Amino acid sequence: MSVETAADGETETAATGARASLTERFDRRSLLLGLVGSLAFLAVWQAGAMAIGRTYLLPSPVAVATAFAGELAKTETVTLPLLGELTGSKLVVKLFQSLVHYVPGLLIGTVLGVALGVAMAWSETLDDLFTPVTRVLRPIPPLAWIAFAIVWIGIGHGGAIFIVAIGAFWINFYNAYSGVEGVPQGQREVAASLGVHSDWGMIRKVVLPSASPEILTGIRTSIGQCWMIVVAAELFGAPGVGYQIINASQNLDTQVSVVYMLVISLVFLTSDALFRRVEGRVLAWRE
Amino acid sequence: MARVDGVEDGDRRVAVDGVTKVFGADGDDPVRALDGVSFSVEEGEFVCIVGPSGCGKTTLFRIIAGLEDATDGEVRLDGNTVTGPAMDRGMVFQEYGLFPWRTVLENVAFGLEQQDASADERLERSREMIDLVGLDGFEDAYPNELSGGMKQRVGIARALAVDPALLLMDEPFGSVDAQTRNMLHDELLDIWAETEKTVLFVTHDVEEAVTLADRVVVLSGGPGTVAEVVDVDLDRPRSRTDAVFGEYQERILGLIHEN
Repeated sequence: MSVETAADGETETAATGARASLTERFDRRSLLLGLVGSLAFLAVWQAGAMAIGRTYLLPSPVAVATAFAGELAKTETVTLPLLGELTGSKLVVKLFQSLVHYVPGLLIGTVLGVALGVAMAWSETLDDLFTPVTRVLRPIPPLAWIAFAIVWIGIGHGGAIFIVAIGAFWINFYNAYSGVEGVPQGQREVAASLGVHSDWGMIRKVVLPSASPEILTGIRTSIGQCWMIVVAAELFGAPGVGYQIINASQNLDTQVSVVYMLVISLVFLTSDALFRRVEGRVLAWRE
Repeated sequence: MARVDGVEDGDRRVAVDGVTKVFGADGDDPVRALDGVSFSVEEGEFVCIVGPSGCGKTTLFRIIAGLEDATDGEVRLDGNTVTGPAMDRGMVFQEYGLFPWRTVLENVAFGLEQQDASADERLERSREMIDLVGLDGFEDAYPNELSGGMKQRVGIARALAVDPALLLMDEPFGSVDAQTRNMLHDELLDIWAETEKTVLFVTHDVEEAVTLADRVVVLSGGPGTVAEVVDVDLDRPRSRTDAVFGEYQERILGLIHEN
């Protein structure tokens, strides 16, 4: 036993060491190349904008940076549902308007999607009952539901929440379903032999932890996808970052549109990075 | 009370009584996997079930474990008919069946969590089992960080933690290399001697069966029936180069082939 363990330990350390130095070298190289690529992109963009010479057709990076500072400096007051009145930088205020439908939509869609996905993958009866319905409804793009959002709720925050929730629902439904389907039979059988006899016990102690990598992947995917849906919903008139994009372009302030496009990108990158850290901690056992 | 080989059940730990399994019995193409399999295991005995692949030994394992129903006949443990998986039968699988999101300690404690044990008692019992299988120092490791042999030690410790009446093992060392397997054989025999458990061990490897078992239930295939139950009358530790060891092996191989 000690022989086997020691041998295993050594190979592992050696392998990890080699991998670490390799990634380090790669990292420095790709950082440098990434910087070069970004600068080249900015240079071509600036040159192109100067050659065209009309900001509304193609705003230059400099024009975008100026507009960014401008939006940040402007003060605006909005009234948000539940949160009340909010005064602050226009850019931040608009972002909060979007978050008011992004966050609840994401949460509602995620909880319902995971719940139904787990339930259908677990229970053959539920699976048989609802598979035809889910098959037909799933391919419908979330935005197509705007028709009902308008007649049921109206195209404000509520309508946008509805559409975002639908988007999050299907992503999480699908991931949770396949995660639960992939739980190895052996794990469930061992748990049964160790005294887990109820469905809920099995779901809580075996199925959910075993399927957690897929479920978390679903949540991470929907964090990104729901931003796309938010913007699309706001193009129809719900207030927020997406609305600013379309509004600015109608005023031919294209540089302001680009500012809000970049805001979405920054928010996505931040939330994705944060979620990856959470995921890394929760799934430490996979490494 | 039902009888197997004319002996009262009360004296037996396990009684496999006329177990028959037919898959797809209602369909056009039923497959008879087991046909009237009967044998018994005494308390504290180490019994191997050996047979060629396709002889239904895994089906038999699953019926004894309660994971599969017999079409006919039944299995009794200490006189009680087996109706499903339960804590009185600890299972060890070839593919380990460990919970990868739990550490070694948490895996071993899994069954104890379903009982009324306090946190302290669980910890103490789990550590005791981890020591028993020689994994002390690896309590906080995750299964993915362990070699195949170490994973199976966790599987054994987890099964033993709830103190089952029977340890049921299905080709537990089928996924480890030969050298590790030999080491694990010695360790399993030590654990068996120390815990005085009753062990029922399924394998296709005749040499493994003769190394480990007090008695070997030889199954022959298609459908699986008991060809013979061979008493292995050899002192432990057993040497594979021993002439008598070789004779047992040949006798069992002969039984498998002629049936």
